[in-house]
Amino acid sequence: MTSMALSKQVYTEFEDVVGPEYLCDDPAIMPSYHGTEFAAVILPENTTQVQAIIRLCNKHKLPFRPVCTGWTGKFAPGFLYIDLRRMNRIIEINEKNMYAVVEPYVITAQLQAELMKRGLHLNVKGAGSNCSAMLRGHGHLDQTTSGDDRNHLAIEWVTPAGDIVRSGSLGSGDEWFCGDGPGPSLRSILTSAVPPGVTPGVFTKAAMKVYHWPGPAQFPIAGVSPNYQLSAIPPNMMARYYSFPSVEKMWQAEIKIGESEIAFELMGFNIAMVAANISTSNEEEEKNFKRLSKEIQGPGFFIILAGNSAADFAYKQRVLNRIVSDNDGKSVTSLEDPRTEGILLCQCIRISASIRETFRPGGMFKSIPVMGQRDLTIKWAIGAGKAKEPLIKKGLIVDDGGAAFGWGVEQGHLGKTEIFCKYDPHNEVANQAVEDWHKEQSDRAFKERYFALLVGQNAEIGRALSNYDKWWNEIQKSFDPNRVSPEGGALV
Amino acid sequence: MGLEQYQGDMNMCCRCSACKWVPMQRVSGHQFANVCPSISRYNFHSYSGGGRVNIGAAALKNGFNYTPKLLDIVYNCQLCGACGVSCNYAMDMEVLAPITEFRIKCVEDGKTHPALDKAIAGLRQTGSLAPVKGKRGDWAAGLKLKDAGKDKVDVLLYIGDLTSYDPELQKVAQATARILQKAGVDFGIAGDAETSCGGEAYEMGYQQDFLNQARKNMDYIKQAGIKTVVTPSPHAYHSFKVLYDKFKLKDDLKVLHITEYIQQLVQDGKLKPNKRVDLAVTYHDPCHLGRLGEPWIHWQGKKVPGDRFVFDPPKVYRRGTNGVYEPPRNVLKSIPGIKLTEMNRIREYAWCCGAGGGVNLSNPEFSQWTARERIDEATATGAEAVVTACTLCAKNFNTAIDATGSRLKVYDIVELFEQAIA
Repeated sequence: MTSMALSKQVYTEFEDVVGPEYLCDDPAIMPSYHGTEFAAVILPENTTQVQAIIRLCNKHKLPFRPVCTGWTGKFAPGFLYIDLRRMNRIIEINEKNMYAVVEPYVITAQLQAELMKRGLHLNVKGAGSNCSAMLRGHGHLDQTTSGDDRNHLAIEWVTPAGDIVRSGSLGSGDEWFCGDGPGPSLRSILTSAVPPGVTPGVFTKAAMKVYHWPGPAQFPIAGVSPNYQLSAIPPNMMARYYSFPSVEKMWQAEIKIGESEIAFELMGFNIAMVAANISTSNEEEEKNFKRLSKEIQGPGFFIILAGNSAADFAYKQRVLNRIVSDNDGKSVTSLEDPRTEGILLCQCIRISASIRETFRPGGMFKSIPVMGQRDLTIKWAIGAGKAKEPLIKKGLIVDDGGAAFGWGVEQGHLGKTEIFCKYDPHNEVANQAVEDWHKEQSDRAFKERYFALLVGQNAEIGRALSNYDKWWNEIQKSFDPNRVSPEGGALV
Repeated sequence: MGLEQYQGDMNMCCRCSACKWVPMQRVSGHQFANVCPSISRYNFHSYSGGGRVNIGAAALKNGFNYTPKLLDIVYNCQLCGACGVSCNYAMDMEVLAPITEFRIKCVEDGKTHPALDKAIAGLRQTGSLAPVKGKRGDWAAGLKLKDAGKDKVDVLLYIGDLTSYDPELQKVAQATARILQKAGVDFGIAGDAETSCGGEAYEMGYQQDFLNQARKNMDYIKQAGIKTVVTPSPHAYHSFKVLYDKFKLKDDLKVLHITEYIQQLVQDGKLKPNKRVDLAVTYHDPCHLGRLGEPWIHWQGKKVPGDRFVFDPPKVYRRGTNGVYEPPRNVLKSIPGIKLTEMNRIREYAWCCGAGGGVNLSNPEFSQWTARERIDEATATGAEAVVTACTLCAKNFNTAIDATGSRLKVYDIVELFEQAIA
């Protein structure tokens, strides 16, 4: 037992809430909880238990950190880790009003599968469909579903003081259809993406906006892992990768695709990411990257068309062909092979790519995501990519050609650009080099006025944005008088 | 080398939790999306594949600090390998191997489970991990089978501990023998001389006992001049084909599960299933025949210096891809009247029956909890019966069915096939 352990009396009080089976402070489990010596790990079953836990945290001035699927984070020792794993119910799928209400441990793949049966789907966050369906974020489908700044509707929130607050329409009735009213909106607190973007307390239920799904109720998957493929490309669906002679041409094509609203998904993958997604091992990925690099003429994007009918699909294809042609784009023909096309369709819609392209090559990645207008953020990312080249030459990070990636949001009205460094976290030299790159390029993003997620620079950003960080701290204090939720994490 | 050889693999875990779920493309709804019985039952991340390798990596770094909770985590795992399959869809890292090595390390350090100690004591005394009733070869009474130790035969029919001794399961051994007789196969059994394959002892953590058994079996096989082993037991199949090869004891022995052999005999026209067996069934993939049944891959090499985790020579991972999935299905499909409906979790991402890794002995409640989940899944298909190709699975299912009052029937695949050729 460590000095951070709960006293026997306090332990018993928490145990009375969840039962002995769902509370543990044994040091044996802590390596599996982010290698952090938490005071204990507790697994509530419902909102009532969450509320009781938080009230006890306030009573004992014990800081807590809620986590759902838990693929993230650095954590402070001594906290109570609230593992929301048992809160895994889909409360409602409202087809008429197009939303789904879920608890934190429903993963996106589960909700997506249920939605597809009903002709619906949702935004799959870039973190992957293995993560919570209520996770805030952006992803492959932002072009047509926007990001989760928009997709959270009503939310049930247990505040750091232990009050249950129901936002939006839920605050004035029992309907989940709107996050902003009637009833309290609380958007800036509950779904703010401004750093630190860490809402205190715990989200115990949230309504997610859902969208029309033009594809099949279930993908016809054949084969055995990891060699899954589609037995047939679903009717009126198509996946392609187009490369362009310049960033400007690519960007013009992106704008036109947005304006014409033909894309189901528009993902500005670099070719290294395509290689990662179609490959079942690192060795295969390396070969595919080299091969595909020779097949492209410059930067490019991945696009999925999904027609509501054969005529709609044919129209979208014609428009796409015209846009690509007008901007001198070229399809990477080897990716048109139905086997590869099927892998990409499934990988990008059902999984949101992710693990193969992030953790597999080196074991770790570091990212700088930048929101804003794509043509501007791409320019920033080109600089960040050039800064990666010396690290690639030294063999400190995985060779992805130095490329960034990104995608349109809301038919290109907004956009996101992001750049990775993939590396071995156990290589100290690589670790330091990536840290330095990250800091330099984040600083540059800030100086050049890009909206980057710049963790640790809240004060600097605050000075540039009406000292919002000070206001944020004041708001936090009023919601969290005992500072039991200093790291936030309501959405993680 | 033990656990140490997997330090790099364990360090690769990115805590994505893929190990808890069937591969994401295979998630077909809210229900039946879990793949790991242990995390599903015990909920703390420590009980997942990822949590286990996190603990292993920390133990190598900080020492093995055994607590009752740690041993609870270690022994409440069926070692079914589903975590590794789901992880290895995307990641290049060993998962099941370090989890198994951790358990072996516990046994080496004397941190054993009393129920497993008792079973191993029985093994040392009787050559069987299953309770011994009568003589091992009694099941064959009246079948006039050859003694493979005395008569020169093409094929050794290896039955396994449970099926040899359990009166309720001996019918599977008998049906298997009659099928081979009907096909005119020149085969024999070891009878009373048969001894445990040792595979379950290995998974319980008792590596030396496994090796003792493996050597006994291979000595017998060599002395008898046997080139082919056929078995209805996935555990024996896994032992002879995979584990014996891993420890370089297999030589050039050909190992076939009975479903692979029947499939071949049907294709060769030596067996003709032409009698109707009107039954709506679903098929349960035994872990040791399915994802764990793929061949062992010998590899020795080192990481290529540089950015990427690639190896020289390239490392090929056992991802569950080449398990035995189609032969049992083909055998079922060859039976007129059988209507096969698949469950949600099948083949490489099948849900375990719950009995593996010694859990049926060390924690019967958890073993049965796992079995009930599978019975629910089987029932949801509308099938009248769940068919499997493993008597340990069948026994666990039957116990669950008895406790719940389910009307689902349980068959070993050879029982149905024999009806079709009767």
